[in-house]
Amino acid sequence: MPEISHRDRDRCCVAGIGVALLLSLGDVRPAGALDAPASTRIARAARPIALDLAAALAAYKTYVVGQADAFVRETARFVAAIQGGRVAEARGLYAPARAPYERIEPLAALFPDLIKRLDVRSDEFELRERDPAFVGFHRLEFALFALGTTEGMGEFAERLAAETVILRDRMTAVAIPPAKAVGAASALIEGIASTKISGEEERYSRTDLWDFQANIEGSKVVFVLLRPLLDDHAFVARVERSYKRIEDLLARYRAPDGGFQSYDNLTARDRNALKGPITLLAEDLSTLRGRLNID
Amino acid sequence: MTDLSFPNLTRRHLLGGLGATAFAGRAHAEDETPTAATAGTLAVQPFHGPHQAGIITPQPAAALYVAFDVLAERRADLAPLMRTLTERLAFLTRGGAVPETHPQLPPRDSGILGPTVLSDNLTATVSVGASLFDYRFGLARARPRHLGPMERFSNDALDPAQCHGDLLIQFCSNTAETNIHALRDVIKATPGLLAPRWKVEGFLPPHVVKTMGADTVRNMLGFKDGTANLDARDPRVMDRYVWVGQNHGEPAWAVGGSYQVVRIIRTLVERWDRTPLGEQEAIIGRHKGSGAPLRQSHERDTPDYAADPNGEAVSLAAHIRLANPRLPGTEDNLILRRSYNYSRGITAAGQLDMGLLFVCYQADLTAGFITVQNRLSGEGLEEYIRPIGGGYFFALPGVADPENTLGEGLLAAT
Repeated sequence: MPEISHRDRDRCCVAGIGVALLLSLGDVRPAGALDAPASTRIARAARPIALDLAAALAAYKTYVVGQADAFVRETARFVAAIQGGRVAEARGLYAPARAPYERIEPLAALFPDLIKRLDVRSDEFELRERDPAFVGFHRLEFALFALGTTEGMGEFAERLAAETVILRDRMTAVAIPPAKAVGAASALIEGIASTKISGEEERYSRTDLWDFQANIEGSKVVFVLLRPLLDDHAFVARVERSYKRIEDLLARYRAPDGGFQSYDNLTARDRNALKGPITLLAEDLSTLRGRLNID
Repeated sequence: MTDLSFPNLTRRHLLGGLGATAFAGRAHAEDETPTAATAGTLAVQPFHGPHQAGIITPQPAAALYVAFDVLAERRADLAPLMRTLTERLAFLTRGGAVPETHPQLPPRDSGILGPTVLSDNLTATVSVGASLFDYRFGLARARPRHLGPMERFSNDALDPAQCHGDLLIQFCSNTAETNIHALRDVIKATPGLLAPRWKVEGFLPPHVVKTMGADTVRNMLGFKDGTANLDARDPRVMDRYVWVGQNHGEPAWAVGGSYQVVRIIRTLVERWDRTPLGEQEAIIGRHKGSGAPLRQSHERDTPDYAADPNGEAVSLAAHIRLANPRLPGTEDNLILRRSYNYSRGITAAGQLDMGLLFVCYQADLTAGFITVQNRLSGEGLEEYIRPIGGGYFFALPGVADPENTLGEGLLAAT
């Protein structure tokens, strides 16, 4: 039965894929994995998925810690530029520093106190930017892109760097609940749909597309790891199509330097074009936990 | 069935002319506790027919207008979208049990009406905007001939975020919850195909609604609005003024449909409330209390403009006189109005954001709304109103039978 062997290959790949993913921070499409035939259909009750699931979750944990680690490194570069008063350089390092965080954002949400110091937005405060609790990435974004300065930012930057280390340490120590890991696939998409597509997240820097890309990558890592456990071919194909459509749309807005254009360049119609596959993906991924029998 | 629950219902009662239902109603009236049956929650409006419901249907108390952008990118995606809409709206209109959900999956139904969806007088009327006929779907040649983007009239301050749309659904029912339930059902059923663009909710006083048109609703200016409306119960009047027919020069698919105008008209109520009564009445052309045309005594008296050529009773610039001058020739410009009141937040200036959710239907948009609105241009009322949103749409012809779908004629036309 060739299908069985494909399936077995998919399974064997799970751990390997995880490692492959860890090695490629930017492109999460593991060679061959997307092109591999979908797993065969077998009765759900008879499916011994527990071990596969455990392997997938272990691989995901490695991925998450890897991203948390990259987050520490990238943020350190960003912080160094701020502390050196190099505005242009700091601006350029802002979005890349956030990318690892945006890939694992729903897991960071395991630590609500921390994300309120790392990633809080000014619109969460009645006083907006004047609120003393407005700290972290967006406080620095505000200074760099809206005010055009690094002045007075040294302390904010230093605190941010320290928070990233705390996040990595906690992420390394924590046992990620399976529902949280699987739910991260949809949570990242829900984040885009609810507040990011509007351009609320990166309102000063207009680097929203960097976040989208990282969110999609982080979501797809979860899906790719779990894909061998899914026996609904039509579902798998539809989800893959949605990811592909979003990736293709985002690719249109790549800048020559490998980054992304300003979100301001997108018309209402351009944003609508993203809304379609994002909403479809959000609906589909909302069934992922149920399909895997994870409460 | 009813008689089983009322053991004292005898043959004599029935012979005495009381139907079982009427009797049950009287029995219930004694404790005055409304039930699902008496509260109108089981009232059903037909979904199938030559025209969509919700146009000549008597207005229930709650309305919800939502304009959508169609996200589908290919012509081939429109048919499934219309099929899904037809299927969902047919179910929601009829009501019924919601499917059971596996506890590990998100529920198919929002649940805000409970495990059984009540029909609750719901109508859901689907119309299309001019933008649906742009380059995307190859429908340009099927565009109804008067359908374009809503133009800006001289007193308008249109907010692009509250204007136009590829598709509009008008939900009307007894309660806001029923409309919201239907909207959420549609959104859940059309991921990747539709994105809400703007939305506005309207209301009418339920006690007036219950009189089925015998009483006239007052708008946020305190005046009766809609007194001289067309009689929606007269099929000949509707065929002349509301429904697109064979002889309107429209594409064949459009026959049975109707042009729909939606205008979100803010009324500057604080200023209005600081305007002398006599001036208010002169601006509108009616007595505020009775609704009668000025110098007449009953709401439904017909103003005699021939006897008042200089506007001594009803000013030549009065709203009712400009809207319907009752001159030879202007009878072609009559429209079926179906408006609601709305009220939402506070404006940037700290005033109340409320007004009229003006809706009208007509067979000929140019002869109807556009002509009437051009006549109204410069009226005294303009100081107190500011149209801020809405659009021109075309309400699709009805879904004849359960095997048909909304817009199938349109999609087959090109």
